[in-house]
Amino acid sequence: MNTGLLWTVGLAVLSVALALLLAPLYEGLMRKLKAAIHSRIGPPITQPYLDLFKLLGKEDLRTAGGLLYTAAPALSLGSVLLLALLVPMGARPPFAFAGDIVVLLYVSAISAVLLMLTAFGSGSPYASVGSSREMMMLLSVEPVMVVALVVGALKAGTLATGDIIAWQLEHGPTISMAIAGIAFFLALQAQAGKLPFDIPEADQEIMGGPLIEQSGPRLALFRWAAWSKQFVLAVLLVEVFLPWPGTGVFALDLVLTLVKAFVVLVVVALVDVVNPRLRIDQAMQYYLRVAFSSIAALAFAVIGM
Amino acid sequence: MSTVSLLGLSAALLLAGALVSLVLGGRRKASGWASVGFVGAAGVALWAVVVRTFSAGPDPEVTLLSLPAIGAGFVVSVDCLSAIFLAITGTIGFLTTLYSVEYMTRYRTDSVAKYYPLLQLLFAGIVGVVATGDFVFFLVFWELMTFASFFLVTFEREVRANQRAGFKYFVVNQAATFGMIAAALILWTRSGSFRFSAMRDALGGLVTTQPALAHLVLFLFFMGFATKAGILPMGDWLPDAYPAAPSGATAAFGGTMTKLGVYGLLRVFLYFLPLSPVTRTWGLAIALAGAVSLFVGTLTALKQDDIKRLMSFHVIGQVGYMFLGIGLGLFFLPSNPTLAALGLLAGTFHMINHSLYKSCLFLGAGAVAFRTGTRSLSALGGLRAFMPATAMYALTAALAIAGVPPLNGFASKWLMYATAILGGKAFPLFAVLGIVAMFISLVTLASFLKYLGSAFLGPPSPLRGVREVPASMLVPQAFLALACVVFGLVPAWPLAFVHRALTGLASAASLPRLESLLGDGPGLQAGSDLVRVAFWAPLPIAAALALLGLAAYFLIQRAAGAPVRNVPVWTCGEEAGPELSRYPATSLYLPFKRAFQGIYPSIHLRAPAFPSWLRRAFDLDAWLYLPVARAVEGGARAVSRTHVGIPQVYLLWIVVGAIAVVGIVLAFLG
Repeated sequence: MNTGLLWTVGLAVLSVALALLLAPLYEGLMRKLKAAIHSRIGPPITQPYLDLFKLLGKEDLRTAGGLLYTAAPALSLGSVLLLALLVPMGARPPFAFAGDIVVLLYVSAISAVLLMLTAFGSGSPYASVGSSREMMMLLSVEPVMVVALVVGALKAGTLATGDIIAWQLEHGPTISMAIAGIAFFLALQAQAGKLPFDIPEADQEIMGGPLIEQSGPRLALFRWAAWSKQFVLAVLLVEVFLPWPGTGVFALDLVLTLVKAFVVLVVVALVDVVNPRLRIDQAMQYYLRVAFSSIAALAFAVIGM
Repeated sequence: MSTVSLLGLSAALLLAGALVSLVLGGRRKASGWASVGFVGAAGVALWAVVVRTFSAGPDPEVTLLSLPAIGAGFVVSVDCLSAIFLAITGTIGFLTTLYSVEYMTRYRTDSVAKYYPLLQLLFAGIVGVVATGDFVFFLVFWELMTFASFFLVTFEREVRANQRAGFKYFVVNQAATFGMIAAALILWTRSGSFRFSAMRDALGGLVTTQPALAHLVLFLFFMGFATKAGILPMGDWLPDAYPAAPSGATAAFGGTMTKLGVYGLLRVFLYFLPLSPVTRTWGLAIALAGAVSLFVGTLTALKQDDIKRLMSFHVIGQVGYMFLGIGLGLFFLPSNPTLAALGLLAGTFHMINHSLYKSCLFLGAGAVAFRTGTRSLSALGGLRAFMPATAMYALTAALAIAGVPPLNGFASKWLMYATAILGGKAFPLFAVLGIVAMFISLVTLASFLKYLGSAFLGPPSPLRGVREVPASMLVPQAFLALACVVFGLVPAWPLAFVHRALTGLASAASLPRLESLLGDGPGLQAGSDLVRVAFWAPLPIAAALALLGLAAYFLIQRAAGAPVRNVPVWTCGEEAGPELSRYPATSLYLPFKRAFQGIYPSIHLRAPAFPSWLRRAFDLDAWLYLPVARAVEGGARAVSRTHVGIPQVYLLWIVVGAIAVVGIVLAFLG
């Protein structure tokens, strides 16, 4: 086995392991922070791990059958782990040869597609309402992420995630990438399903929306997928839009990335804790404005700023 | 056998099939199976042409009939581009005919004698259009195709809406065809010949000497082909006409006929039009037309409740993608051969992919209508439990059209986005068009999730006795769904054929080699020999997804061995039946749909009123049959009044008659 292949495989295993094992820790830290702002003690940081462990052993109540319905939670988690392979973590992504930013964006939507199909399949009207909202959120948020990443691609003249980062490191911060980064951050709030954009799940009104009929291990997998996705997208944000200093030492870069991702998620948690939930039409209008503002980043990119 | 004789054989088989199915018209299944045999045999002959063309190179043109007086001739000319369309026609034609055998038993009163013969004439017309190298005969076959499809659209004669749809289809397409005739005549005045090669020379001359006239010619051609393809606003006929035809025919329209607009576009802009700055201008125009179509068409599709109408709007949207890709390619053709090649490959490959999944979707929609008798999403639900196979194929095709990786729709869209974004550096508008196209891809997803969620998933609808459709209706869907997966996993394979077809066209002959464009590995690595800038390797992605999914299932979900129990849906303790707790399809995405209200002003083309005297002249009932019938009846009644049934009266009549006869005889003798 040559070293290049060994490195790729090792990095792939590491990326999957980080996305799988570290994501609940980040969620636990966010919960602790929210509790602190509420002047509560809050659950221990390991609570998400305990939640997952408990759910995995609970009875699995199903309202529907079929291959897709059975496989959807596992495939959903699998698609998020695949996303982790396409996202750089301290180095070029291990699957850089297999997918660029377009592939990355589409793979990131697979878990949402599976969640919506499961929700429709479960037969609950609350799940259908939740799916409808989930799709509308996706329609509002995804264009913002697309614009942000396309700005990077335009500037670097390539769609490869690793090359965009290399270009960033070489050329330093620019106005267009700063605007694009802010837009991507605003989209992250909704992608993570945090207030004020937890509209699809909206526990107090539609009882978890798409997840209402999911229980036990199925619920655990969907939750795990959501946490991993929030972690991976935060990593993507800091890697593409804040790659500095980029020491070139893998271990150091990785630790820096994880710290920066943590800071980003802390801000996400802060926004979450001080905001009430928006209505779906308000959220759509908000992201429409964000999308149009982020076009400014495209304009700056075109004139080379 | 040579290309000409193989094509002649397939044409003869299609015409014979039309005749046989017409004769057998009274027996639904027999007529259908006969058509399957003839179309299948013709398909084999067409595939033989395809294999021959790709393996040995195109045969030289053959002139079968020459009309020197007008400079026309029946020229048979099959290049690699034609071969791709022949392959699509042979395959989709056979599958849709096979599907129709059972499907047509749905129509109790309408005879299949007005279905199968026309379907086969339609295929014959399509074969003629792509295999001819002379514009007069091109138009002859084009019209054959339009006529056959017109009668297929108006198959259900009693439904007034279908008649209106057919009328609109006919008028709009004829108007577009007249434009093309005008364009061909303008070129003919220069060269005196309708041969494609002569038209190319004539157009090349016009571009340098009279650019305005060249633009007019190109505009007329563009209008003609865009109308057939369904580009908005000319494609307004499409969402009315497609749903009106029987589902087998709709799938054939969506899989083959719409694509001829793309064929014409490639033929005109990559063959008739020599490489020049005009190519660039028209590339931009075509890309913009495509973008408008994909935006408006797809957003309008989101609002539809009728399955086939929903899918018809998606035809408009998807054709928009093809035009966008081809437009991008044409724009970059004079300046940047790499981007040009990527754009043209994307548009043409998307056309092939669209043939596969859209035919599959129309067949699936037909299967739903066949068993439930309705096409309204609000009335359907939970069909997966009764029609699992149809549901699976519909799911595959729906995810393919939505561009979910690693299915085929993603492969061509990925190429298109790469072209648009990378082209954005030279022409920023294209980056915006790329972003719009990616957004619309999500809208497509929303629309097909609505279809899947409302028709196949969720609580069962009140419909009873629904079961799976027969095997002969499933096999075509299964084949197409499988093709969607295969073309998604190994896109390099079909792309190699598309690349050969494109480089066979004179203006695109100098495009870079395929290995230089997309790398020579199993995955696609777009760029040039110097730098690779976009990456899509479906096999590793699919393998990783499957592996990670299986690992998550067996190592995490099943590891704790949690017991599984089936329970009814929880409705908050309320005893609500599925009728009460259904979330109707019309409610999905309501706020989003409101935001885009009024984006599609629907045009109602009224059939012009015939002059009343003309209608009366044609109304034989009113002035011929009915008066004659009435006179006969009155006369008979007068005669019958004399029959009173009393013997004495009859005797009296005999006596009176005898006296009269004697009197007459005496009068004559005397």
